[in-house]
Amino acid sequence: MKKFIGMFLLFFSLNSFAATQKIEVLGMVCAYCAQGIEKSLKSLSEVNDVYINLEKFFVLVESKNDFGIDEKKLKSIIVDAGYTIQKIENFNETIKSVRNKYEK
Amino acid sequence: MFSLKPIFSLFLLLATINCIAAPMTFKDSTMTMVEGTNDFKRFELSHAITGLESIGLRFFNIQDKQLKVDGSGLFYLNRLKRINTINSQTNLWFYLELGNIDNRRSKNRQAYLSPTFQLDFETKRIYSSLSHQILRGPHENFDRTQIKSGFSFYETSYEETQPWFIFEVMNMNSLNNNTALIPTLRLVNKTLFFEAGISTKGDPKLHLMYTF
Repeated sequence: MKKFIGMFLLFFSLNSFAATQKIEVLGMVCAYCAQGIEKSLKSLSEVNDVYINLEKFFVLVESKNDFGIDEKKLKSIIVDAGYTIQKIENFNETIKSVRNKYEK
Repeated sequence: MFSLKPIFSLFLLLATINCIAAPMTFKDSTMTMVEGTNDFKRFELSHAITGLESIGLRFFNIQDKQLKVDGSGLFYLNRLKRINTINSQTNLWFYLELGNIDNRRSKNRQAYLSPTFQLDFETKRIYSSLSHQILRGPHENFDRTQIKSGFSFYETSYEETQPWFIFEVMNMNSLNNNTALIPTLRLVNKTLFFEAGISTKGDPKLHLMYTF
């Protein structure tokens, strides 16, 4: 029984990862201006983490659920902060791994 | 009634320091700004009511050999147009301020109205702006044109503080073509915006903005 519960928990934990979405943003040239994106996205209850990369002009949003954030919400936040969205897509890496890659 | 010289000093002071830093970041954000030189202190609080518009309050004090002035005003800021590309943003701003100046020495009070247009262009390494401000009071009529241009010393990530050198040229059109030159060091962080400069008169100038 213990073995079964252990396997069940392992299976459950492996399949409950957060979804990450990548948003390519035009006009994001300064940290002081781009902070609006981070603060507004982090105010959403379903958002787990946000990562902004000015050099490669993208924003990553990691959700607490496994199906991501509604694209309409994402678009509204980015546009209200003054920016233009080029593309939104699902992303296969976690924010932690991307952060490690770009900010050594 | 003010004589011309103190009026000139007052508006030159206001115009020299009252450069717009486009105090609006994102919808529902609140921003505070403090600015000062030897003779001038300013405090400002504004709130972005939409992604395009911001309203705010401003209080300032000017105290030098000729003037002892308190002022306060309401302002409205609108981002009329923004063009975003991968590596740049271009903005056209409209700024309207309505306020009152109280000269404690001459016991004179007067209202003023001051619209400004600003066009700016920014990349991760280059900044430039052109603005034109009109100052109108019952007996006053001043125009100011300002050009700011500069570069960042290096590119930074979102979490790092970026240093810039900005050179500012300001001209008061209606007063003997008086031109001021202000080299400025600017530090930009994701929540803080800090500038320190020295005018051609040798006056230090500090400017700090923080967004909540």
